[in-house]
Amino acid sequence: MKALYKKELMQLLNSPVGYSVPIVFALFLGYLFIKDVFVIGSASLKPFFSVAPWLLFILIPALSMRSISEEKRTNTIEVLLTLPLSEETVVFAKLLSLFTIIAITLGLTLSIPLVLGFISALYVPEIIVGYVGLLLLSSLYLSFSLFVSSRVLNQIASFSVSVIILFLMTTLSSDFLANILPKAVQDVLLFGSPLLHLDNFVKGVVDLRSLSYFILLIVLFYKLTVTELKKRI
Amino acid sequence: MIELLHVYKRFGIKIAVSNLSFKAQQGDIVGFVGPNGAGKTTTMRLITGYLKPTEGKVKIFNENPIIHRLSILPRLGYLPENNPLPIDMTVREYLSFIAEVKKEKQIEKIIEELHIDDVYEKKIDQLSRGYKQRVGLATALCGKPDILLLDEPTSGLDPIEQDVIKDLIKKLAKKRIVIFSTHILSEIEDVATRLLIINDGSLLFDGSKPKGKGSVETLFKKLIKKS
Repeated sequence: MKALYKKELMQLLNSPVGYSVPIVFALFLGYLFIKDVFVIGSASLKPFFSVAPWLLFILIPALSMRSISEEKRTNTIEVLLTLPLSEETVVFAKLLSLFTIIAITLGLTLSIPLVLGFISALYVPEIIVGYVGLLLLSSLYLSFSLFVSSRVLNQIASFSVSVIILFLMTTLSSDFLANILPKAVQDVLLFGSPLLHLDNFVKGVVDLRSLSYFILLIVLFYKLTVTELKKRI
Repeated sequence: MIELLHVYKRFGIKIAVSNLSFKAQQGDIVGFVGPNGAGKTTTMRLITGYLKPTEGKVKIFNENPIIHRLSILPRLGYLPENNPLPIDMTVREYLSFIAEVKKEKQIEKIIEELHIDDVYEKKIDQLSRGYKQRVGLATALCGKPDILLLDEPTSGLDPIEQDVIKDLIKKLAKKRIVIFSTHILSEIEDVATRLLIINDGSLLFDGSKPKGKGSVETLFKKLIKKS
């Protein structure tokens, strides 16, 4: 598992997507932060937590699109699956290496609350819980995108499918839907929205329902990816 | 021991392997020959457990290679068709990974034996076809496997390199089972102790290699014509 994790991480860090995702993410959010503080005059982390999920649903599929689909296209998957590694290990190592990149990406943005701490009073536990929420949301996106990558041979198709579905998931809690859908349908859709569950974390609340929501979906897509690799045609 | 019992493999309506049965034991160097699309690669994949038979049984050391894959795969070295390799890695990075997974402590010895030392720090993408083939062979040899499955091991190699690989196969086979597929019939004469001829998924011949120069080719052509 350690060997595969190291290999996957090395391949990610050597690829342009691997190092451009953290840079793009940190630069974009850094710019928004500077604009808010110095142009609008608002010293808050709220814009950061509300914009980050929208960036992540594009950046995470870009990061994970080739993870399995490229292995299938080039047939290196045959070598991987004939090594003494279980399918669970293969998927877990891939997820963990992708998660490491995302953790680095979010780590780079820690400078934002640090700077903010100098100009206004911050409640640190709330920020920590907010970041935990972002990590959980990212893990859900990663787990889902990896599953899509295992189903689709072409990496561009894998990216597009992931982005479209994650976009739909993310917009479930939008005001637009709230106005056009019946209340009963809206309630069900809202519970499925990752943004709604992230909101609890951003407020500094560790809600068990939200925590369970993220963990269940992460495990579900992990299991589905393992099942996909276990398929012997 | 490798045992295939009445194995069928279908992909939709296409029959890739039909009623295939054979056994291979320690010391056997099995030359697997057949025209393109005869079912050689599918058979190799069935033995590794990468593919599941539609019917019949595949047994490796009396175990099912899909159910018991984690106990069988450490004993198996495999060079797949077209030798797929991660081109964005260096030879050192890739072979270190394989050696760690297969718990091979003497990777330097394999590197030396296959003469890959001079390209060790190069990216796989930059290697010639011959060197890529050697890296693929090094992957298969890692972990001292009891079974070696080599799908076209000399493909893309020059005559000198082909001789190196042939000698290596002969040397390795003493304590192992080696199954290799090839299009080059003279390789069978030089290396194999047993011959399997396959066409349209069916086994046409299973037996000792016929003696005499050109005898394999004569037998092959005769059987293919007949089928």
